[in-house]
Amino acid sequence: MREKSTTLYIGPQHPGITGNMMVKLQVEGDTIVKAETHVGYLHRGFEKLMERRNWLQSFTIVCRICVPEPDPNEENYSRAVEEIEGREVPERAKYIRVMTLELARIATYLLWYGGQSGSAGLLTMGQWSVGDRNYILDLFEDLTGGRVYHMYIWPGGVRRDLPEGFKEKALRTMDYLEKRLDDYDKLLFENSIFQKRAKGVGIIDKNKAIEWGVVGPPLRGCGIQSDVRKDDPYEVYDKLDFEVPAMEGGDVWTRALVRRFEIRQSINLVRQVLDKMPGGEYYNKIPNPHKWTIPAGDAFVKTESARGEFGYYMVSDGGNKPRRVHVKGPAYVHGITLLENLLVGENVADVSFIMNSLGTCPPEIER
Amino acid sequence: MSENNLHNEQKLLNLLEKKFILKGGSVRRERRVEVKVEPKEIVPVLLYAKENSGYTAFTHMSCVDWIEDGEFEVVYILWHPEEKINFFVKTRVSRDNGTLPNIDFIWRQANTYEREIREMFGIQFEGLVGREEFILEDWEHMPPMRRDFDTAKFVEKTYFYRPGREDAKDVREYVQERTDEELPDFAKKYSRD
Amino acid sequence: MYNDKESQKIVDIIQNYARKHSLFILAYGTGCGAIEIPPTMTSRYDAERFGIRGAATPRQADVLLITGYLATKSLKRVIKVYEQMQDPKYVIGFGSCTINGGMYWDSYNTINVLDKYIPVDVNINGCMPRPEAVIAGFVKLQKQIQEGKADGWDKYKKNLDYYKENQKKIITNWVMPDFNW
Repeated sequence: MREKSTTLYIGPQHPGITGNMMVKLQVEGDTIVKAETHVGYLHRGFEKLMERRNWLQSFTIVCRICVPEPDPNEENYSRAVEEIEGREVPERAKYIRVMTLELARIATYLLWYGGQSGSAGLLTMGQWSVGDRNYILDLFEDLTGGRVYHMYIWPGGVRRDLPEGFKEKALRTMDYLEKRLDDYDKLLFENSIFQKRAKGVGIIDKNKAIEWGVVGPPLRGCGIQSDVRKDDPYEVYDKLDFEVPAMEGGDVWTRALVRRFEIRQSINLVRQVLDKMPGGEYYNKIPNPHKWTIPAGDAFVKTESARGEFGYYMVSDGGNKPRRVHVKGPAYVHGITLLENLLVGENVADVSFIMNSLGTCPPEIER
Repeated sequence: MSENNLHNEQKLLNLLEKKFILKGGSVRRERRVEVKVEPKEIVPVLLYAKENSGYTAFTHMSCVDWIEDGEFEVVYILWHPEEKINFFVKTRVSRDNGTLPNIDFIWRQANTYEREIREMFGIQFEGLVGREEFILEDWEHMPPMRRDFDTAKFVEKTYFYRPGREDAKDVREYVQERTDEELPDFAKKYSRD
Repeated sequence: MYNDKESQKIVDIIQNYARKHSLFILAYGTGCGAIEIPPTMTSRYDAERFGIRGAATPRQADVLLITGYLATKSLKRVIKVYEQMQDPKYVIGFGSCTINGGMYWDSYNTINVLDKYIPVDVNINGCMPRPEAVIAGFVKLQKQIQEGKADGWDKYKKNLDYYKENQKKIITNWVMPDFNW
């Protein structure tokens, strides 16, 4: 017997969803037959605001584009400006940037641990990992002065040098986190509830993944080794030693495993960077911000964020304000077309579970 | 950078120059190739790049308002997963009643980009299916990303300012007047250097 | 005997005492601010010490936490949510952007002063406010509740015309039922 079809709305306000968006579901019994995403609840018009602000003022608002992980935005903005202007960045600044980006990646993954397990009903995990994330935020506070928004990586280098004793503090935190990761494994990955919920759910087709625009951990969870840090190396990633984990499967489980391995790589990268960091200048001084003009031109730069490739398309018309800055976050594809397709045939209970595993982040979809 | 290193980048450009009428094309730098075409050439060029040259990933699509020329510039950015090259296809359409071909049959995620550009700039895409409203709701004014849309004036008309905001604007202008100084005093005071 | 003023005062004190120690929040995660809510609720800051915890639906919630700027599309939903909540209800505006627009003061799609559309009891400033600031804001709200001064919900009912006029200025397509119960 065919079951009656009903319409269900999840969101915009929903405790399980990763942000403020709405998914309209057509369900038969418990199975989704059609999904439609509605976004726009967080639109701030960043790209319009940047047209009104000069190059340095625009820099202070870009980090607000993606809330869980602001640093790739700063990195992208700075690199795009540097590419158009041809500004040199000191070697030390590059190392500090890589360290900041990797710390941000760890923080995002720790938050993801909480979200992913919370949407499966495992609330202890969130208490642990979000609590441990505070240690990374403490490092950021020490380094930049801000817990969440740092405004640290700016055109020409970074805003401050490492404070005294930062290296020891960071290494201590990394040691602590590495120990904790084994506890997380016991709590999450050896948990049969999580295994049964995650295996075989939300499968992405490997042959279609690249064409569909999947990036980041979901793509590596399909068994395709793709990482901007290797493919289009920026800063000093080509001088560092790290692996890009990829696993066959394409379901929530492999995506979770990929993140589990990546967080270890990031810890390793932070240690390497702190070890190899050269001395010298950390900032190539920009002129007076109100007079600072950038020659006409355009650039497309990419950064590997914790959720995938983050791209900025920037156009300058030679003035003291950006002509156009267009942000492409990984969630722009993951959260709309990919999600709509993955949800078909899944259970209603798995919606927020799948959304968390894709790293959907509405603020960067609509900006 | 020697010529040999850009071999892969040049290859695509040579192929395209033989096959299509390009308005311009160049290798921008390592991993960046750019061509300029007429709007009617968009679909053949993109299809050729995807099917024959291996540019299977659709990375980005953007639009820039060149109000001085009365034109929009639309940029399609593709990615070659093996050769690791970004390929830019640029085209220009009129600001007044520009229409572009719809490409969501090549990459379906292009549908999202096209819906956003339609809403934010007012460019129409032939045969684009999808909800009219994407981000904005009940928007009755000019598409907001056009350069002649003044957001500050709109805000003044529509929303409330908290008392005190007027002063804040004055400070901005005041700071701008003193552009001869290297660094404003208040910034020096709080700088750690 | 229970209707005289003196006994009503005692009942109020007991009621307010109970209310202030069980604040169920409905976090309307409008963007930025939502990121500091998990740290506030989890082990290090542990807001549950103050009786603050999450509620899943508007009907069960006491506090509406507006965590950041409100896009006009969100404002419509926030008003709907606010009107669904049961009296007494309190609103906390979280972040500078609920006070004066903050960074987005000239954005065409975000409102600037939240207090003009729904009555705000406590504003927490900062971009973004730290968990300590969030807890301080809640403690301030608790103090207001104990003193009986957190009466935004009452203000909303008494000045309904004013709030509706402001709301309808922005929401042109008004398809919701008006607040009339």
